[in-house]
Amino acid sequence: MRRRSSPFKPRPRRSWRAPGELLNFTLYFLCAVLLVLSRIGHNAVVDVRDHFVDLSAPLLEAASAPVIMGRHALARVRSYVGLLDEIDRLKAENEQLKQWEWRAKLLEGNVAHLRSLLSAVDEPALHFITGSVIADARGPFLRSALINLGRDNGVRVGYAVINGDGLVGRTVDAGASVSRVLLLNDLNSRIPVLVGPAGVRALASGDNSAELKLDFLPDGASLYPGDEVYTSGSDGVLPRGLRVGTVSGSPGAFKVRPHAELSSLDVVSVLFFDTPALTSTDPPADPVERSLSAMPEDLQAPESASAPTAANEPVPIGEPVTQTGAAGDVSPSEGVAQAQQ
Amino acid sequence: MNAILPALSVLFAVFATAVPWGLPADATFILPLVVVMMVFCWRVLPGADLSPIAAMLLGLLTDVMSGGPLGFWALMALIGATAGGRAPKLIDGQDMNRLWLVWGAVACGVAGLGWLIASLYFLRWIDWWPIAFGALASIALFPVVLHGLLWIRRGRLKPGLRMLYGRWT
Repeated sequence: MRRRSSPFKPRPRRSWRAPGELLNFTLYFLCAVLLVLSRIGHNAVVDVRDHFVDLSAPLLEAASAPVIMGRHALARVRSYVGLLDEIDRLKAENEQLKQWEWRAKLLEGNVAHLRSLLSAVDEPALHFITGSVIADARGPFLRSALINLGRDNGVRVGYAVINGDGLVGRTVDAGASVSRVLLLNDLNSRIPVLVGPAGVRALASGDNSAELKLDFLPDGASLYPGDEVYTSGSDGVLPRGLRVGTVSGSPGAFKVRPHAELSSLDVVSVLFFDTPALTSTDPPADPVERSLSAMPEDLQAPESASAPTAANEPVPIGEPVTQTGAAGDVSPSEGVAQAQQ
Repeated sequence: MNAILPALSVLFAVFATAVPWGLPADATFILPLVVVMMVFCWRVLPGADLSPIAAMLLGLLTDVMSGGPLGFWALMALIGATAGGRAPKLIDGQDMNRLWLVWGAVACGVAGLGWLIASLYFLRWIDWWPIAFGALASIALFPVVLHGLLWIRRGRLKPGLRMLYGRWT
């Protein structure tokens, strides 16, 4: 009987001690060791990665610029194609918003009156800074994005990241000039949320898909598709009231469809929301430079870094922004609107 | 220049994988797998020199860029380099379909192993669909990438076509 030939070369009968085989074996072993070190979160691995990402940031920023421009051009072409329909939709939406504006002003007056009666303390202003996404994470492990804002801009681990549509994620690594944002739909993302007008508490968990799972819903909780989902702030890391998405799915398998289009992020804002809970995720290496009680402006290294400029100075919510990072062409009111909800 | 051309082209691809293309969540496995495919292709092209060490370092760079665990794409690239080194070299007049079949097997192996490692890493079953979709897409893209690399190597496509389809030309 004739033997069928394999497409692979017949393996030479070489000892595993042959230089080539030994080298291959060593490389495979090295990969396995690196995987284990990554799994246990060894500091050396994290430091080396941050260092390389910082070094490659300018290159990534330059490489992503034409791609982002191309995406904008494509989006523009698409908007031209459906221009008439879009105008009709916007007119209808504008009519609805005028009614909402009137109601909002009425409610605003009522709230101010009630607050004055209760002598309520005003909430502190939330500062933010805006930058752009320069790299995406690809693979089965992470849904993350690299942004061009780092510790030099006052960004630290644990800060909430939003865009014009809603919450995007939070920072998990912060280098000198870049930070990595863990997106909402990442496998490791867990966000305590409030759902619907009743404010049902739940946990929105990512599973690497486009939608988030709703875990730990109380028994008998009445949810409906389309209900708004927003952060509860009970983790002490994220501010309360950031828009996350809307409920989708059916009873027993409710999901959250994020407002933000997580697969095509462009311009994002980082909220400077310091809480004691961040101490567990961002231990200060230098007590002066990374003091948790310090305001973002104080985090700038006084000797090495230049004085804050319009490009890197955090901007308090409610104040006009002249220019923010690489996102000078985007209205800061998007972020303000999100943060104030 | 010829000696570093393979590594340079893969390096370019590594940076291209990190750029925010705006692909949907299900398509996130395709781009890094293209890097592994390029490593495999360079290893089957006669005369091209891409050592396993270079392949591993490029995979490591993919890990750094993607933010995933260090060693994952390095391991995948190393598997691609090993498989490419053991696969038949692409010589003049050889049928490309055979090589395509080999890449199909390698892509399935890499995808299966990747899914297993990812599941072990997180101690839960990872969604397999994006990985399977990436593997299928990489198999479909194989001739395109191979043609591209031949064009890079020769500077023009015609001799590359003769190499791939010499049997019929």
